Amino acid sequence: MSAPRLASNALRDPWWLRLPLLMLALAFVALFLVLPLLAVFGYAFEKGVDFYFASLVDEDARAAIRLTLLVTAIAVPANTLFGIAAAWLITRFSFPGRGLLLSLIDLPFAVSPVIAGLIYVLLFGAQGLFAPWLAAHDVKIIFAVPGIVLATIFVTFPFVARELIPLMQAQGSEQEQAAITLGAGGFAMFWRVVLPKIGWGLGYGVILCNARAIGEFGAVSVVSGHIRGLTNTMPLHVEILYNEYQRTAAFAVASLLALLALATLALKQLVGWRMRRATPADGTHA
Amino acid sequence: MSIELSAIEYRYRDATALAGIDLAIESGELLALLGPSGCGKTTLLRTIAGLEFPDRGRVRFEGRDVTALSARKRHVGFVFQHYALFNHLTVFENVAFGLRVRGWFRRPRRAELERAVSELLELVQLGEFARRYPAQLSGGQRQRVALARALAVEPQILLLDEPFGALDARVRADLRRWLRGLHDRIHVTSVFVTHDQEEAFELADRIAVMNKGRIEQIADPETLYTHPANPFVCRFLGEVNELPAALHARWTGIDDERVVAFVRPHDLEFSAGEGGARVEQVRDLGANMRVEVRHPALAQPLVAVWERSRFARSGLAPGRSVAVSAQRQVLFRGDAPVDAAERAGNALRDILVTHG
Repeated sequence: MSAPRLASNALRDPWWLRLPLLMLALAFVALFLVLPLLAVFGYAFEKGVDFYFASLVDEDARAAIRLTLLVTAIAVPANTLFGIAAAWLITRFSFPGRGLLLSLIDLPFAVSPVIAGLIYVLLFGAQGLFAPWLAAHDVKIIFAVPGIVLATIFVTFPFVARELIPLMQAQGSEQEQAAITLGAGGFAMFWRVVLPKIGWGLGYGVILCNARAIGEFGAVSVVSGHIRGLTNTMPLHVEILYNEYQRTAAFAVASLLALLALATLALKQLVGWRMRRATPADGTHA
Repeated sequence: MSIELSAIEYRYRDATALAGIDLAIESGELLALLGPSGCGKTTLLRTIAGLEFPDRGRVRFEGRDVTALSARKRHVGFVFQHYALFNHLTVFENVAFGLRVRGWFRRPRRAELERAVSELLELVQLGEFARRYPAQLSGGQRQRVALARALAVEPQILLLDEPFGALDARVRADLRRWLRGLHDRIHVTSVFVTHDQEEAFELADRIAVMNKGRIEQIADPETLYTHPANPFVCRFLGEVNELPAALHARWTGIDDERVVAFVRPHDLEFSAGEGGARVEQVRDLGANMRVEVRHPALAQPLVAVWERSRFARSGLAPGRSVAVSAQRQVLFRGDAPVDAAERAGNALRDILVTHG
């Protein structure tokens, strides 16, 4: 099987159309993506390497990094589990409310993250719906770590499910049925048949989910309360530093986020490539 | 292990997929479910496997009610139409799957498992392909892997959904004969679904012809062919000419009872002479010749398929006038066959309606 080729000559536009289009696209990418990325690193190292690393090992910065990692370590596995369960439910069963569930999964994409944060404030905040109960049991959610985790889970909720649903739909359930007729129980079927089949797609979804969990700003900003050293994640820490005119320190922390983004991009490319290679073998019986 | 289905009903959304199926399959039998697409044959097969659950009716294996039992607990071998092999596992691991997922106590030891899988791979003549992946196999080989995988759990019942449907004609014919041979050796009760009557005839001990969620007739191939229960079965078993005819009752002398004579293309006779019919077209099919004859009283042309030598002897050519008769025919009055005893008492007046 050869890779799809663009070049039926009939579809080829003349050079005087292609060249300006190409230039336009490149200029756009340079202006809006490459330049800002370079600027981040440029400003970060503006006061030298020593200052750069000093900004990163600053106590508040370290607390922010730790919190971000903690939140990610909770939100990503939670949404991975949820994503697999939802994709399984939606692609393998027909039940009343299936369409509704499908649209609800997309909800976090549709609403502004700030609204998402506000919802949690209204529910769990000092004047919120559950405030009396929370106060009585001395549970703190808003302006504390649990609120940040909740908001992050909400915002990153669709990534894994969205990646798996079309994949599992395309693969169909015949192999799973075969596993059942061969005597496999639910766990054996999932472990030996489903997981290997969706593996790369799952990895892809987890990477995207992870990237968003680390970088989420809006929803977290609303529920966090910006308590330095306690409820500041990396993106919030960047904002605070910047507002306090510590531009170089802000960009140093931001460069860390940018590096994570670049690593995510590379990983995503790799997994995407593996996924495309794995798919034809799955589809040959179609 | 025998299978008994009683009064199986299955509705899929608003459509009735199975409308009251009664079927008894004997132990060791090879039965074909034959019918057009959408007749419910695959649903029936999946109902036996426990992959679908009927709205009404019972499924029994050897008298034991298994209606509520899941596919996992029925111990039935199922071969899927598109094989459903595990693409991420080697041929060996595909076949070993059913043994590996067994409960801790019933799982065979390693040496035992390897021996069992190797034996099965030899049985399906794929011993040297054990380390390959399904994507590296041809369609016929994949089909045999699917079969070996289903047999690995030593099922007492083997179910096959259109087992040769996705293969090309040559491989299909070979695999068919091979499967028949295999069944004669291992004698597992087998049911397979097909829409190809030739396949059903070559393989099966008995054939259940299905239509619109019902079984129209269940019989051995010979009976099915010579005594079809109704016009649907007759039509489904191959090309057939339908000629309006009249029964002449010897005792009463009345001869206007209208019946329809179903005549197979190779049973149709044309003899040169004035019979009102005219040869319209002759097609060379290779081993046979296909002759189409137009009769003024009939909307459809009559079709005969003869061997080359027979055609050569007949001296027929397009444009020739011919008289039509039949060597053998099946008569239907409405939907019911006219039985032999009745026919012995009466005479078929003329194959073609002469009046009107």
